[in-house]
Amino acid sequence: MRVGFQAKAITVFPSFIFSALAMGIATALPMQAVAGLREPEPVADLTHLSIEELLDVEVYSASKFIQKASEAPSAVTIITAADIKAFGYRTLADILRSVRGMDVSYDRTYSYLGVRGSGRAGDYNSRVLLLLDGYRLNDPIYDQASIGTEGVVDVDLIERIEVVRGPGSSIYGSNAVLGVISIITKRGRDLDGLEVSGELASFDADKERLSYGKRYDNGAELLLSASRYRSRGQELFFPAYDAPATNNGIARNLDGDRYDSFFGKLAYAGFTLTGGYSSRDKAVPTAFYDTTFNDPNTEFSDGSAFVDLGYYGALGQRWDIAAHVFRGHYSFDGIYPYAAALNKDETRGAWWGTELKFVGRLEKHKVVMGAEYQDNFRQDQFNFDIAPYDLLLDDRRDSTRVGVYIQDEFSLSRNLLLNAGLRYDDYSTVGSTLNPRLGLIWNPLATTTFKLLYGTAFRAPNAYELYYASLTQKGNPSLKPEEIATWEFVVEHRLRPDFRLTADAYSNRISGNIGQIADPADGLLVFVNSGLVDAKGVEFEAERLWDGGARLRTSYAWQTSRERESGATLVNSPRHLAKLNFSAPVWGDRLRTGAELQYASSRRTLAGDNVGGRLLANLTLLSEKLAPGLTLSASVYNLFDKRHADPGGEEHVPIDAIQQDGRSYRLKLNYRF
Amino acid sequence: MAAPPTEYEVKAAFIHNIAKFVEWPAVPSSVRSARLCVLGQNPFGEALEALQGKPVGRLNWEIVQADGSASLKECRVLFISASERSNLGRILESIASHPVLTIGDSEGYAEQGVMVNFYPEQNKVRFEINLAAATGAGLKISSQLLKLARIVRPAGGRP
Repeated sequence: MRVGFQAKAITVFPSFIFSALAMGIATALPMQAVAGLREPEPVADLTHLSIEELLDVEVYSASKFIQKASEAPSAVTIITAADIKAFGYRTLADILRSVRGMDVSYDRTYSYLGVRGSGRAGDYNSRVLLLLDGYRLNDPIYDQASIGTEGVVDVDLIERIEVVRGPGSSIYGSNAVLGVISIITKRGRDLDGLEVSGELASFDADKERLSYGKRYDNGAELLLSASRYRSRGQELFFPAYDAPATNNGIARNLDGDRYDSFFGKLAYAGFTLTGGYSSRDKAVPTAFYDTTFNDPNTEFSDGSAFVDLGYYGALGQRWDIAAHVFRGHYSFDGIYPYAAALNKDETRGAWWGTELKFVGRLEKHKVVMGAEYQDNFRQDQFNFDIAPYDLLLDDRRDSTRVGVYIQDEFSLSRNLLLNAGLRYDDYSTVGSTLNPRLGLIWNPLATTTFKLLYGTAFRAPNAYELYYASLTQKGNPSLKPEEIATWEFVVEHRLRPDFRLTADAYSNRISGNIGQIADPADGLLVFVNSGLVDAKGVEFEAERLWDGGARLRTSYAWQTSRERESGATLVNSPRHLAKLNFSAPVWGDRLRTGAELQYASSRRTLAGDNVGGRLLANLTLLSEKLAPGLTLSASVYNLFDKRHADPGGEEHVPIDAIQQDGRSYRLKLNYRF
Repeated sequence: MAAPPTEYEVKAAFIHNIAKFVEWPAVPSSVRSARLCVLGQNPFGEALEALQGKPVGRLNWEIVQADGSASLKECRVLFISASERSNLGRILESIASHPVLTIGDSEGYAEQGVMVNFYPEQNKVRFEINLAAATGAGLKISSQLLKLARIVRPAGGRP
């Protein structure tokens, strides 16, 4: 996306693009999807613990606002604030790398999430729905879910993240194709005062944060936080440009990264007002879209801002009501240096929306129903040469979408639960779509759960795919939503309350996935609904907690994603993923160590090569006991300095594989007054 | 990472354990069950099911969703949900001086006369005890339990 104008001209080989796209959509839809399934996990019986032991158990607190993810079927992966500290996570991308069946690649501009084998570099994560305290973060122009330094919220403010795999459109509507990632932020009382944080890291990076949180006597609760990050980045060498005319392949001072962000939340008497702002500038070293290599002007800037006002309350004894109204803004500025002119993309999005939801607990039913409306009153895309000025694209749009949904969770018997959900969406751009979800959940034993799930999900084509046009690209207003149908079978077993095993198998069929090809008639790039992709896989995970405070989570995933017609494996789709996260106190409780291992097998690149498999290790030491209020941590990422690369999207051609960071460090200090 | 227990799984276990440290007036030997009633919106989900039938002393837990005030006096333990905040005074009055251990998890409940009230602190569950309310109902709370609790005085009381 964000194609600079001369960009993709002729470098496009339809088969590449085809598979790339296909992969975007294709792969994965895990099943949990049927959002809305209630969580029938076996209940932990902790009555064997003494009161003293219970006083020491950490729990995650119930959210004030009704979180849809908590109604999703289980096998939700939860990452907590404690994990973020223990493993030295810097961005959402770092966090998601540790999650079963997920994989993140980076093209030195954005981070791309692969879910269950589907993750085309360049698809802007539009097949994943990203929620912040229930507010939809995907913008209405590119549908982008930002997970790198361009993300909206500082990970230090996250209380927990719920990762729900699989189609969630029966509750959430568009984008919930491969999964739903729900971020829940901390409350004022979790900070209870002023906190300052400073970081120093490799590549001349520094980050500062100032936060304040408080719960007042009248019950009002406030959180305010501002963050600032600057990184000079690296001098990167690209063999594809190793010639004297292109600085011998060295991109100098073109990896810089900086962001400023602000987040605030005020809660009182059932109402919560949330606001966020972020602005990120990233220099781009890869000379993408056929721009001039090693040109210092290349830069991408992303800006987001939103305000959300929510209310949650009870309507009598059996019904809850949740409502919110929101206003969002997104901007993108991309500068593309060409020999003839400096070209610029300018994108501006603005929208408002509202949602009303009821949750009822009736005798044998739990009912969720709601309606959602969004008005994208500004979806403007411009492209022009800066000097001499030449306007190439002036596309101003607006659109609306409306959705209604209902879901019933019905206890058929003491240990058998049926969950059925249905959502209807209507887009002013592409018409209507209906997405069902069905789940059967059986608890034959208190410790064992079986789930059989079926669901469909969709993604409506976005304004970029429908309307962006330039000298080398044209719009396609007749695009249809892409669709996925998923079956999944899950087994969860608790050996003990603190030892859980999960296994799942899934099969996804993606049809009409939106991908970019070169139109043979005129050579222009255009998005089309393309063929079928089949994705299937199995995953295993074990999670264990020990009394002393040690925690282990380890998983293995086998996954395959193929185009139905050609049988070709998708680009950037590893066959095997394995993860291990272990964290434990050392030296009494004065120090805590967090160690991570992440393996991904080789992945195909667009040019048909492979980037080799990689095993990465990260290590963090954390001390929260040196002095009252002081937290210190030291992290080493890529501990063994493994050389590795990620496949790039076709905008980077002739660069096919993009080098990733070697060993790097971070020191972090937090002080709470 | 490893899914921590949910808040209400922990609270259910607390209720079970706390009951072991409370002494009720003797009940006839024909009574076999200890009623654990939940009044208002049940926040436990399935978490209380773990207690169903479990022995507590010579009795066994029987989990009951309470709705009217008529049967509240039959409860051995009464969990009063946050949804009942506006009725709290009336509820407590209806069981006044009956040996019902009242439990809640809402700010201010203990001050208003609920005997045991959970509150969160740093992601952990803590509890406070209104000793006067328990004593007034003829319940004896073990000093071992009191040691672990924050002791609350009734609203309006002088320290």
